[in-house]
Amino acid sequence: MSVLIECRGLTREYRKGGQVIRPLDGLDLAVPRGDFLALMGPSGSGKTTLLNLIAGIDSPTRGELIVDGADIGTLSRRRLAAWRARHVGYVFQLYNLVPVLTAYENVELPLLLHPLTRRQKHDRVVTALERVGIADRRGHFPSQLSGGQEQRVAIARAIVTDPAVIVADEPTGDLDKASARAVMELLRELNRESGKTVIMVTHDPKTTEYASRTLHLEEGRLAGGSAVGGVMA
Amino acid sequence: MNPVRAVPYVVKQVVRHRVRSGLTVGGIAIAMFLFTAVQAMNEGVTRVTAASANDTTLVVYREDRYCPATSRLPQDYQRRIESVEGVAGVTPMKIVVSNCRTSLDVVTFRGVPKSDFIAQRGGEIELVAGSLEDWQRRTDAALVGETLASRRGFRPGMTFNAAGITAYVAGVIRSDDPQDHNVAYTALPFVQLAGRDQLGVVTQFNVKVEDSSVLDRVAGDIDRVFANAQDPTATFSEKAFIGRVADDIIELVGFARWLGLGCLAAVLALVANSIVLSVQSRVSEHAVLRALGFSGGQVAGLIIAEGIVLSVVGGGVGGAAAVAVARYGNFAMSVEGISIPISARAGLLASGLVVCGGIGVLAGLVPAWQASRREIAACFRAA
Ligand SMILES: Nc1ncnc2c1ncn2[C@@H]1O[C@H](COP(=O)(O)OP(=O)(O)OP(=O)(O)O)[C@@H](O)[C@H]1O
Ligand SMILES: [Mg+2]
Repeated sequence: MSVLIECRGLTREYRKGGQVIRPLDGLDLAVPRGDFLALMGPSGSGKTTLLNLIAGIDSPTRGELIVDGADIGTLSRRRLAAWRARHVGYVFQLYNLVPVLTAYENVELPLLLHPLTRRQKHDRVVTALERVGIADRRGHFPSQLSGGQEQRVAIARAIVTDPAVIVADEPTGDLDKASARAVMELLRELNRESGKTVIMVTHDPKTTEYASRTLHLEEGRLAGGSAVGGVMA
Repeated sequence: MNPVRAVPYVVKQVVRHRVRSGLTVGGIAIAMFLFTAVQAMNEGVTRVTAASANDTTLVVYREDRYCPATSRLPQDYQRRIESVEGVAGVTPMKIVVSNCRTSLDVVTFRGVPKSDFIAQRGGEIELVAGSLEDWQRRTDAALVGETLASRRGFRPGMTFNAAGITAYVAGVIRSDDPQDHNVAYTALPFVQLAGRDQLGVVTQFNVKVEDSSVLDRVAGDIDRVFANAQDPTATFSEKAFIGRVADDIIELVGFARWLGLGCLAAVLALVANSIVLSVQSRVSEHAVLRALGFSGGQVAGLIIAEGIVLSVVGGGVGGAAAVAVARYGNFAMSVEGISIPISARAGLLASGLVVCGGIGVLAGLVPAWQASRREIAACFRAA
């Protein structure tokens, strides 16, 4: 299997009043295409920081980060934005839907950046909503949906541009058990049936059962040390 | 991104934040109503006082007099004025007003020799209702300016009473000269007899000169003719005359210009306030847009577009209301027998909208720039 994401010596530093905080410290990781990777680790260990780097909404201080052949650590802000629009879908713990837009309009939002006809856009949005099983709620506003339904809409929004990678930061963190299970099953389907590479941060060991493997972060590095990212055999 | 695709998104943001947008648009509409009204007054002043190259009318007044009640000149000056070189025609005029103070609803009678009037003004005036023969035949007949007629509801065949004069409406006239819009033209002796004045006394002479280049020269010549007469004259171009009579109004309107600027400042403050609050409350929403692939510049563009929509909608409502009120109210500021129209052209509305668009951009600039510079990851951390 080909490697989709490759981190070498990946480091992110923040400076605060002379002090240097280093949530990621020389991390090495390789993620093959089609992987479903769960990331665990104590609070503050750098999980969100790593996810943000892979999603291209943050840039590394040092090290190399190659996603789907692009060296995204070196892209300018503008090109990085354009890259995000095509290659990643981000799923947040708190869904982060736009409150004044309906489910349909929220899913349509990323397509503003793509040169599609009205018809093509409509088809894509409907397909994505059907994929997450929420097409009947497309005219509802986020405030009219349950948390689990909101998260499905957010997943539809993440997949509507057909990205290779889906990153999810504690996607079930705010959901009850049943909704969490449904969301996890959905992510597994997307991984197995649609071939999406999924990288998920989680605190809930149960959810790791859906992943093909689980890695632990500690103080900005992979726990258990040296391995070049524990690529699956 | 094609900016046109973003329009529905921007409109939804404005429409679906109903309370915020409604209050902002309402405030802008009120300010732009005032601004447009001030502009309309300004335009009226400019229209009647700004000299232009084709001015050919002089007004001969009694020297040192400022109102029609005290300017009294012998009617027989007419022949001596006609003999001044460069004069094309002279109309003696007796003016009686229904209200001596500045007002928006004055009826001004202009008594003129009917034949002189038709000879000199006939070509510039269009009869929109009634009959000219009627006017010539009846001694109490009046030709009423269109603005006055629609403001007071005058129709041919009616009689009306103003300034102690009862006149019969023979016709309604239209002309490009704002001074015709608010007057009732009647026979000269009819007005002379109605007032306390005897026959043979007029308020002023309106003099047409052959060419605008001789305007000043003819004015000087006329005043020299009467320099040693018992009633010396003071002659002005019609526009300078209006400027002299209406200087109070003009000064007030000039001051109102500051009011207009104040209105624009209020619009800026309203839009800026609305945008700043909305951007602050939508930090994570903008971060989501950027996580979805919008660049900082694109997010900034969306924010600025919202400012433009708010201010243009508010400006459109307020400006259109002001233009409608000015147009259907048929107002003119009248004083001492002259009138300054409140001129509400569609161009006024258009220029108001352009100004509003500019203000919308200006108001959104700083918050948009800030939103485009924020670090995406930090926005989520703070939310
Ligand atoms: N913009 C920033 N400025 C300063 N410090 C930061 C910034 N972003 C992250 N950090 C620090 O980096 C460390 C790692 O943060 P990160 O959010 O990646 O942890 P995490 O593993 O996701 O934790 P949690 O499980 O609580 O979400 C934390 O100590 C955090 O305070
Ligand atoms: Mg985190």
